[in-house]
Amino acid sequence: VIAVVDPGPLASVQDAAGRRGWRRYGVPTGGAADAWSARLANRLVGNDDAAAVVEVTLGGATFETDAPATIALTGGLRLRVAARPVPASQAARVAAGTRIDVDGGDGARGYLAVAGGIRVPIVLDGASTDLRAGFGGHEGRALRAGDVLGLGPPSGMAHRWLGRAPSGPIRVLAGPHPAALPVLAASRWTVDPRADRTGVRLDGPGGVPGAEVDSMGLPLGAIQVPPEGRPIVMLADRPVTGGYAVPGCVIRADIGPVAQLLPGHDLEFAIVDVAAARAAWAVREAELELLEPLDLASDAGWAGAHP
Amino acid sequence: VIVPFGERALLVELRATGAPLALFESLEADPIAGIVEVVPGRSSVLVELDDAADMVAVSASLAARAGGAPPTRRAGRLRTIPVTYGDEYGPDLADVARLTGLTESEVVAAHLATELSVLFCGFAAGFAYLGDLPRPLHVDRLATPRTRTPAGAVALAGPMSGIYPAELPGGWRVIGRTPLRLFDPTRRPPAYLVPGDRVRWERITADEWVARAEDAPDW
Repeated sequence: VIAVVDPGPLASVQDAAGRRGWRRYGVPTGGAADAWSARLANRLVGNDDAAAVVEVTLGGATFETDAPATIALTGGLRLRVAARPVPASQAARVAAGTRIDVDGGDGARGYLAVAGGIRVPIVLDGASTDLRAGFGGHEGRALRAGDVLGLGPPSGMAHRWLGRAPSGPIRVLAGPHPAALPVLAASRWTVDPRADRTGVRLDGPGGVPGAEVDSMGLPLGAIQVPPEGRPIVMLADRPVTGGYAVPGCVIRADIGPVAQLLPGHDLEFAIVDVAAARAAWAVREAELELLEPLDLASDAGWAGAHP
Repeated sequence: VIVPFGERALLVELRATGAPLALFESLEADPIAGIVEVVPGRSSVLVELDDAADMVAVSASLAARAGGAPPTRRAGRLRTIPVTYGDEYGPDLADVARLTGLTESEVVAAHLATELSVLFCGFAAGFAYLGDLPRPLHVDRLATPRTRTPAGAVALAGPMSGIYPAELPGGWRVIGRTPLRLFDPTRRPPAYLVPGDRVRWERITADEWVARAEDAPDW
């Protein structure tokens, strides 16, 4: 098992895929806000992409296992094992009872994977926690100090990732109300402190012409603009329908970078076409393969057994 | 009109009343290959495609379904929802009466007299948007949303009514509360009310509410 010593401001069990096929009944997709990083965390510890992980928000979280385990942290946070920093994007071996700290970093969310995967009941075909409706994940709620999460049997190899984190503007496709898209792309935006798993709100100098519209289904990354003019990029926990104008939609490849934005971070949008969006996704998929096997037994430097 | 929405989705815009539900029901009864998610909206249907699907071919199939003859719809299942109105069950009933110029009894009578349809879902798992209310019952949302609206709250905003499936923040005006549990992720489908269903209200007393609290209806 892995025990939650301190969940930090918000930690929950999530999976990379979220739920598919239930949005007609109002059930959001959910799942990891930065699903790409959740998949990478699983690959680093030899799990299937679909294994459940812990999504930690902002840092300040501590865990421990009751048996030796292989773990990895991806995304924008930093990992320490037995007080020693673990290099980014590589698996680490922990001994029973070793303190696992997830600290703040240059992004909003970290994905803690454990070899074998976090074991939770599958609800509506998914392991993710629906925090709004209160089901899925661990008891349908955010993790608390003292929670104990079961683990599956480890199967694969540990790895180190050799790629680099993406950078650059956030790429967008035109949405159903594209008139405001040029204004959106011409401005520099700052992330509002209310950014959460539902969406990332943006502040800017001028604002974008927004409007109330008939409620419609929202794909991941839809940029809603309410009448007051400040855009919201909709993420994993977005309601299945929304009633504001949508000038654009963030491409799939750049959802992870948006989910990692911290309050106060700046961002810019760049308009692309569908072919470019698909090419960008193919690049991100290929980057998941940039893995090098890691022999943790011979690498005791931060294995945690000897603090 | 069918417009691409992101890399893998199409938004079918349908202005005619009933057309979104007609297309939704058609896709439920006879799915188009490659579509993995169907989300009805108030005047649209969003469809999401799997990675391998041919967007042009799916778009053509949708155009064939959505165009042509005026939508014909099956009569949806009739769902009767017991409601206790007013007092602590419907804390906004007095305000709704004031805003509409009706008495509280007239608001309740108008609500009870209206058969609504589940137009689409959203906001939270199991939340059904029910419409359309008669114009005299149209009210604005609360200026300051509640941080907690209880599960079962029956509320109004604009042309629509809805039932909070769980305790949630919310800005609709609460006129009553049902004891029924309307969302259960272990059941199939997970929601008692699905798009296309017809909804009628049945007035119950506070004592009956307490007796039926957390009742799970057959579905």
